[in-house]
Amino acid sequence: MAKLVLSTAGTVVFQCFLDDDRVNIGRRALNHVVIDDASVSLAHSAIVPVGNDHILEDLGSASGTWVNGTRIERHILQHGDVIEFGPHYLRYLNPRASTTIDFDRTMVFAGLHAQAFPTSDEPPPPASVHVPTARPARSRTPRGRVTITAGPRARSTLELDRVVTLFGTPGDRLAVVTRRPHGFFITHVEGERYPRVNGRRIDGEPRQLRGGDEFEVGGERVEFREDY
Amino acid sequence: MPRLSIEAVGLTDVGRVRQYNEDSIVCDTARGLMAVADGMGGHRAGEVASRMATDSLLTAFREQIAAMGSDDDPISLQPTVEQSIIRANDEIMTAARSNQACFGMGTTLAVALFHGRQVTLAHVGDSRIYRLRYNRLQLLTRDDSLLRDQVELGLISAAAAAGSHNRNLVTRALGVETAVQPHVREDKVLAGDVYLLCSDGLNDLVDDSDIELIVNSLKANLPLAAHHLIQAAKDNGGHDNVSAILVSVRDEAPADSGSGWLRRLLAWLRPGTGG
Repeated sequence: MAKLVLSTAGTVVFQCFLDDDRVNIGRRALNHVVIDDASVSLAHSAIVPVGNDHILEDLGSASGTWVNGTRIERHILQHGDVIEFGPHYLRYLNPRASTTIDFDRTMVFAGLHAQAFPTSDEPPPPASVHVPTARPARSRTPRGRVTITAGPRARSTLELDRVVTLFGTPGDRLAVVTRRPHGFFITHVEGERYPRVNGRRIDGEPRQLRGGDEFEVGGERVEFREDY
Repeated sequence: MPRLSIEAVGLTDVGRVRQYNEDSIVCDTARGLMAVADGMGGHRAGEVASRMATDSLLTAFREQIAAMGSDDDPISLQPTVEQSIIRANDEIMTAARSNQACFGMGTTLAVALFHGRQVTLAHVGDSRIYRLRYNRLQLLTRDDSLLRDQVELGLISAAAAAGSHNRNLVTRALGVETAVQPHVREDKVLAGDVYLLCSDGLNDLVDDSDIELIVNSLKANLPLAAHHLIQAAKDNGGHDNVSAILVSVRDEAPADSGSGWLRRLLAWLRPGTGG
């Protein structure tokens, strides 16, 4: 369960649990969290629960609502967030709401506008509405690049900065170099002739590339360099 | 106009964190029936629910397709697909009520039924269907998820959605309510199209741009493409079960070519098979 802890000059002055109800924060005594400070508006901010989230909203306060040093209008609270009200700090604690992926299983929840769309002949969703993936920033991505020494792309250098990079000739002889957390791998994709690494033909399995390896596929000769 | 045929590959994987795989898939090339179900519920009940959903579809279409005879009629199978999903829902509801261990179980479902030059698409929950056409990947389904509702209604920005903890909350599922409303539509297929059905264990962990790159780069080798999708999800954390079905649509080899006679013979021996 989520918790709010209000502290002033390092001393905890108030704390409460968040449940399924909205929490109002401000100088007025009617608020759930009352902060008696001249810089705080009468009705300053609110915390609204939506599903597993607690969303912090500014209520048009004079001095604004600040989280971890950034002014916000609306913010999904994360475990450890500090909301600043002048010299007062309101800390949001919810171990289940850390920025890393949570392990909650899929659950059913009442929709916000379940009846808003017809059930058939729906147009594809607009491209502008895009919910990003949950994956944390790629922190462990190896870096690699290749120099093409023979073939139509000879004398060019390519960064292997995508998850897959193709070499050879589509429809004829094709191989893929896959970027994985623990390195780069070359795999045969199509064609009767398999790629060669350092002069030796590879089989159907992925083959890890080491710095200095040279491979040939579909008329292209390629040198691989690994730099972490 | 040459007939179309499909090649399909389906993979499902427990991922890197979960103990059980609660996803269930159908990849029946002969009937053109593809489905991904992502089960939910405690004590492995999710496994039961997703398996019931895919089994129920398979049973329904074993009868239906056999009854249809030809797969070339340009008819809509929307009512048929919708009915079979409603039936699956009833079966899961009944099982959940009669068995204490299955209480509260449910499942998402994404279905694609290929017939002639069309495909009937249906989904409930947040399992998805994409289509790669002219090298571009397009999402054809709208997730029944709280997070999507929030973004669409402008309650939170798309960028802020990355910090939400509502990713796992679906607003519709099978086995939860007596009246389930599947989203069903018909799509015309073109030679060269690649369809992807997946559970959220894929699209929660792999960006659409990477999914597009993998499918488009490796579509000539469908098993390798499917393997790469699963691998990318696991390399990015693999916190959930992950399932992917790839369906590639092609022109059937011309009937008068060298290998055509075998295909015609097989088609004649097994009416109703799509390749």
